[in-house]
Amino acid sequence: MLLAQYREMLPNLKVLEDIALNRIREALDQQGITVTAIDHRIKTEKSLSGKLELKGGKYKTIGDITDLLGLRVITFYADDVDKVAAIVAQAFDIDWTTSVDKRKLHQLDSFGYNSLHYICSLPAGAADPAICSIRFEVQMRTALQHVWSTINHDTGYKSDVQIPREYLRQFGRLAGMLELIDDEFSRLRNSLADYRRRMQSLVASGQLDEVPLSSDTWESYLRTSPFERLNKRIAAVNQAEIFTVSLVPFLKVMRKLEMETLGDVQRFVDANSDDAYLLAVSELAITDIDIITESVGIMNLCYVHALKNGGGKASVLMILNTLNPSDSSTNEFMAQSIVHRAASLPFMQK
Amino acid sequence: MNTTINEVNGELVAVFSGRLDTAAAVQTERDVQPLSNCDGKDIVLDCRALEYISSSGLRIFLSVLKAAKAKDRQVFITGMNDDIRNVFAMTGFTNLFQFR
Repeated sequence: MLLAQYREMLPNLKVLEDIALNRIREALDQQGITVTAIDHRIKTEKSLSGKLELKGGKYKTIGDITDLLGLRVITFYADDVDKVAAIVAQAFDIDWTTSVDKRKLHQLDSFGYNSLHYICSLPAGAADPAICSIRFEVQMRTALQHVWSTINHDTGYKSDVQIPREYLRQFGRLAGMLELIDDEFSRLRNSLADYRRRMQSLVASGQLDEVPLSSDTWESYLRTSPFERLNKRIAAVNQAEIFTVSLVPFLKVMRKLEMETLGDVQRFVDANSDDAYLLAVSELAITDIDIITESVGIMNLCYVHALKNGGGKASVLMILNTLNPSDSSTNEFMAQSIVHRAASLPFMQK
Repeated sequence: MNTTINEVNGELVAVFSGRLDTAAAVQTERDVQPLSNCDGKDIVLDCRALEYISSSGLRIFLSVLKAAKAKDRQVFITGMNDDIRNVFAMTGFTNLFQFR
């Protein structure tokens, strides 16, 4: 009887699966939440038969079985489980009487299955009424909780033999350990976010000597457009358009030039801007080229810094090889050309 | 100015010969149009016979690069003469392309 109802319901379950999956994906995207996976499945007839054999008396109609369609959202961080839950609660109607937070079922001194299960349905009007009336389950857990429950399920419930107490206890201990690791990952993420905010605020307030050079702080520094003035000055020579490019790759060059803080970088900009301008326009001004990229300013700053510090052609070549490691012959030619042009400029005469 | 496009070893190779100046840019822009359909293929801009490139030419190379990046493909430049290398260096275009 219930199996016949299930077969009749199967086409609607498939439609529901697509709609529910898309609603969750769109809602997570809108909130900018990255998850490790969203699994989904419709219970097979074989699996349903097994369930009915075990608990058949519990169900009067097929609608009483709420996991015919199941979705599982697996998050990186424990904090994100609650965020995902809030998003799921907005995307669907939740049956709070049957939804379960397994995380809260444990005693203070017990550890085990940790997952949040919501029994959902589509809000009225989101699809055909027959589809909106079907309840389905959304499970939410972290990747580590997922690993634990998958292994526990495979080795425990499916085992033909009685599992000795010591092994069950070992599973429990592992669950406790994974809970600790989940908390540590969340704590680490929060600490990193705090650090980023602190560095961004130091960059914004100009306290650059206190900011160590790193990929995060370099990107924050670039957002203050530190090379814009120099680029505009160079571009003005030929009324050139400035094409936007990423200056993130120059972090490697900054490190090779032994910059340790953003204060070092700012002093490098202040000390070399006039000479970088002269070096850039020494060639550009005698052409009618009217397009340059945003990298021109910082590139010439690097060349000037290297040459002023006595590094000669080798240090210019090091800069070029760092930026374009695949083309040593062009780099060699360009290094020679840059050194040749710089030789006649005032900063090389001192 | 002459531009031909061939498929070689799974890559689209555009061979430029002559002077890619403002006068030649309009025709060259049309000639490279097939490169925007580079699904699954990287692009090689063969400059061995290219004598000169103007700002208009740089913009054409840039449009090829943008189209390729939108399709997650790479653009390689090969065989630039010294004058063209200088133009790429002074404009910062060397940091945009990969060279062979």
